[in-house]
Amino acid sequence: MRVSLNWLRDFVEVTKDIDTLTDTFTLHSMEVASTEKLIDASDLVIGHVRACEPHPDADKLLVCDVDVGQETLTIVCGAPNVAAGQHVIVALEGATLAGGLRIQKTTIRGVESRGMICSLSELGLPMKYHQETGIHVIDDEVRVGEDAREVLGLNDDVIVLDLTPNRMDLLSMHGVAYDVAAMFDTKLTIAEPKVTYDKHTNPMTITSDTDACKAYYGSVIENITIKPSPSWLKARLIAAGIRPINNVVDITNYVMLETGQPLHAFDFDLLNSEIIVVREARQGETFTTLDDKVRTLDAGDVLITDGTRPIALGGVMGGADTEVHAKTTRILLESAAFSPLHVRRTASRLDVRSESSMRFEKGIDIAKLRFALDRASELLIELAGATVRKDVVYVDRLDTSEQTIELPLSTLDKVLGIRLSQARVEDVLRRLRFRYTIKNDVVVITKPTRRPDFENHQDIIEEIGRIHGYASVPETLPRTVSVGELTDKQRFRRAVRETLLGLGLHEAKTYSLRPRETVQRFAVDKKTPVTVKHPMSERRAALRLSPLGGLMEAASYNVARGQSSVHLFEVGHVYAPTGEEEKLAGLMHGVYRPRHWQTTTALNFYTLKAVLETLFKRFGVSVQYTPATLEHYHPHQAAVLDVAGTRLGHLAKVHPAHAAAHDLSDVYAFELDLDVLYDAREPSLRYQPVDRFPAIERDIAIVVDRLVLAGEVINAIADTGIGALRTVNVFDVYEGTPLDDDKKSLGIRMVFKDPEGTLQAEHVDRRVNSVIEHLRTVFDATLR
Amino acid sequence: MDIQSTIKKLERELNEALVSVDKIEALQDVKAAFVGKKSELSGLMRHMKDIPNEEKPAFGQTINAAKQRFNTMIESRKKAIQAKRLARKLEQEKIDVTLPAPDFTRGAQHVLTRITESLEDLFIGMGYLVKEGPEIETDELNFEKLNLPKDHPARDMQDSFYISDETLLRTHTSPVQVRTMLEYGGTKPVKIICPGTVYRRDDDDATHSHQFMQVEGLVVDKDTTLSDLKGTLLALARHLFGEDRKIRLRPSYFPFTEPSFEVDVTCAGCDGAGCATCKQTGYIEILGAGMVHNNVLEAAGYDSTQYQGFAFGVGVERLAMLKYGIDDIRHFYTNDVRFLSQFKGELS
Ligand SMILES: [Zn+2]
Repeated sequence: MRVSLNWLRDFVEVTKDIDTLTDTFTLHSMEVASTEKLIDASDLVIGHVRACEPHPDADKLLVCDVDVGQETLTIVCGAPNVAAGQHVIVALEGATLAGGLRIQKTTIRGVESRGMICSLSELGLPMKYHQETGIHVIDDEVRVGEDAREVLGLNDDVIVLDLTPNRMDLLSMHGVAYDVAAMFDTKLTIAEPKVTYDKHTNPMTITSDTDACKAYYGSVIENITIKPSPSWLKARLIAAGIRPINNVVDITNYVMLETGQPLHAFDFDLLNSEIIVVREARQGETFTTLDDKVRTLDAGDVLITDGTRPIALGGVMGGADTEVHAKTTRILLESAAFSPLHVRRTASRLDVRSESSMRFEKGIDIAKLRFALDRASELLIELAGATVRKDVVYVDRLDTSEQTIELPLSTLDKVLGIRLSQARVEDVLRRLRFRYTIKNDVVVITKPTRRPDFENHQDIIEEIGRIHGYASVPETLPRTVSVGELTDKQRFRRAVRETLLGLGLHEAKTYSLRPRETVQRFAVDKKTPVTVKHPMSERRAALRLSPLGGLMEAASYNVARGQSSVHLFEVGHVYAPTGEEEKLAGLMHGVYRPRHWQTTTALNFYTLKAVLETLFKRFGVSVQYTPATLEHYHPHQAAVLDVAGTRLGHLAKVHPAHAAAHDLSDVYAFELDLDVLYDAREPSLRYQPVDRFPAIERDIAIVVDRLVLAGEVINAIADTGIGALRTVNVFDVYEGTPLDDDKKSLGIRMVFKDPEGTLQAEHVDRRVNSVIEHLRTVFDATLR
Repeated sequence: MDIQSTIKKLERELNEALVSVDKIEALQDVKAAFVGKKSELSGLMRHMKDIPNEEKPAFGQTINAAKQRFNTMIESRKKAIQAKRLARKLEQEKIDVTLPAPDFTRGAQHVLTRITESLEDLFIGMGYLVKEGPEIETDELNFEKLNLPKDHPARDMQDSFYISDETLLRTHTSPVQVRTMLEYGGTKPVKIICPGTVYRRDDDDATHSHQFMQVEGLVVDKDTTLSDLKGTLLALARHLFGEDRKIRLRPSYFPFTEPSFEVDVTCAGCDGAGCATCKQTGYIEILGAGMVHNNVLEAAGYDSTQYQGFAFGVGVERLAMLKYGIDDIRHFYTNDVRFLSQFKGELS
């Protein structure tokens, strides 16, 4: 809402300067988005063009004699529309115009020019408000030499309020005036309109078939002369951000801004009958709105009809057929109450949000329907020479019974956490101009019609609180006694992050919404993606099935900027139709922990496996790796991970083709289900006594078929269940001469320990022999 | 035979021999020659039989003492040789301690996680629990139970991504508050914060993001007041922006709270005097808050005549941008390593 201070002063005493107003609004009413001067120009007077001759030495310039009261100035003017006899705006020598332009005496092609005849744009009024290309010619009766800013209503300040949806009352100058009166405790001066009616009766009859329009007032107004509005009215509309059109349209807008009640004018002579029927539209019915668009309607849209055809979309937009035009002399003026819900649905479905629909959507002051009609009539008589037929016709089924809201003073104190005296509360209520009584420490407030947002006593607490001011509320802490702590899962998640950070991976965050066509990429479990109904763009259309898509983009972004070593992980949700899962995903590219001047260790599959194993050991989780063929990944460097038979995730080298598509070389990636890892963790710490007896290590080297997996061999050894065997590890892998091409050698280290006593070497040897025997049977292994 | 002069002579010879020895192996030969079984000193013992009985003990002692002395001399030479040898070895191991170390770079926690966890820790310290919930929510929990029925004008304030008619990407973490209140069944106080990712239909630019993180707080009890809200928010503001900060409440509107506020903190750049950062106002808006709307309490099973409470919500990106002077919200989701790696060390 753009609030003109000139206009505001019509309704309330404003004693403070604009900075104080702004600060007070901010702390007690509504955020002030900005303040503006309507025009930023000085030293402007009304001039009268006495004569206008072509410049002797320039085709397109005119030399004008302009009477500015004290003297007559010679001014060279380039506007083709300047002419003798006009009243114009003259910027005197020393004047400042929009953009800081200073007016000085100049000589233009031999003619001395003292001042400038101004266009509205030069004063700083944007073209959209006036559409004048030449100088501004004043239609009003004015006196030469007067301050043009004052005469034209342009010496004004505008406060732009950033309205919240609950304060529909501030969508009118009256509403703003009420708030100013409450905040500063000053006088309200809103006058009742006075209309002189003529003797002719109003021929209209009005019916409404729908509760979406419970009240409809119509006035017939005649003898109208359509012409531009006077400057002061135009200036106020412009201050409010509305483009002046002609006096009739301007007056409906003006009254709407003043009262908050939208009005609509039909050309009375274009109506097919003398009846108005308000009804709900039939599904599929069409109607041409005044922007000449054919609208297809839904049941539930509210139509104003003249009994033969629709003439307006109630509260949203008028029709093209009955629009006021330059030759209009008679109008039917509508002031009605349309249901917020219906207007909202219609306006948003048809995507037509107007000043009018916005006010109906947020709720109007139902006591202002007749007031607004009368106010507009008053102005039409004054500014369009109109006469008003004596009967205002209407239907009105609005519930005007008074509603009350009770607020115990103790509740007020209990919510605000302060003690407000009854005198103070009454003072605030008086300033707010609420009707109230106080009995037994309970305030009973009559709900003002200008505040349809009020529902219960919380609204009243809010009003009292803001006018009283929140600065005096002390700062305390809740007395609720409680234990604050993280859950096991939350602690676990923090530990996961901490572990990976310690291993040199940065934590990343990527967007959940991804392009539909690539959203399955890198997700091993190819579920149907969840998509949003109306995406803002194709790039953000589907919810990710894996964080790896975003992480690959991040890697690509970094590498393209010279950051070749990228190690990232992300903890976040993925979204399948079956539900959300929390994933831990990551990737590594480039060099891991580069050794600078020493040798550099190349990053490979086992680097990331080591990272993961460190994480798994952190939580006591033992993971099985199984070779797998996974789409988007290297066919021979990919594994799926399981814990105790449950799929945990995967670890793999990204397929070189996909890596190359991201301008990356060797990328290794993993994705784990965080819940599976959480469930698999060792739930509690168990202490085991430190071994008192020495361990015995035995190394063997076996030759097996090249395709035999190290994991299989380790498992096979562990499966023998041989006593005292504690760990089995592979310490060497060798392929090449003198081995056959299809063979490889594995160096295996076994550690034996007996908690009960020192192992005898010969016992251990016997066990090693039985391991060898087992491997011979299972893998056809030979000792090397 | 003068045994003393013989020993003296041997001692002289031993000294000379030791001086010229600089290897442990050669020292073994010297040792054999001077104190070994075939050494001249050992040979002196054979003269024992020629000594009168009463002088025999003194004679033996003299030889033994000499042997001991010789051994000590040899041993000390041995230590000297070993020390020298070790010094030589260590010299060969000399390194340049100024060479750069191998880079065991530690990863950096994402700045949004960092601020979120810092807030979690602050509120845990004040007795709050941390509650989480799904990002795909029902319309009922995201809106309707928060006093935002269908067709409510305020739904425009947080235009949302719908998945179906009844589900959407949550526009705030408030549904977690509702879930918690429903879980508690209206019977016990609530004191929680709800961190998480939320989504709104905003075009991404320097200050808007269609995805962002929130931390919301909710306290419901029989005597939770606006002053408690103020004190809590002051603690939050000081935790993030310094002990000297002050806050102010400005009237605002959220459907789920009434009264509702925007909360400003005094600008750390100018201490409230006005500067470019705070657009000369002395204050910077950091969050929204209010007293829980009765409709929200009732919809979540709390008797609004018995219980009252406060709620607040902060945008984590906004806090990070204010705290660290980050100029573009898209940095948080671009994951440029040069950006990510800066957020290390203590939170301050
Ligand atoms: Zn500042």
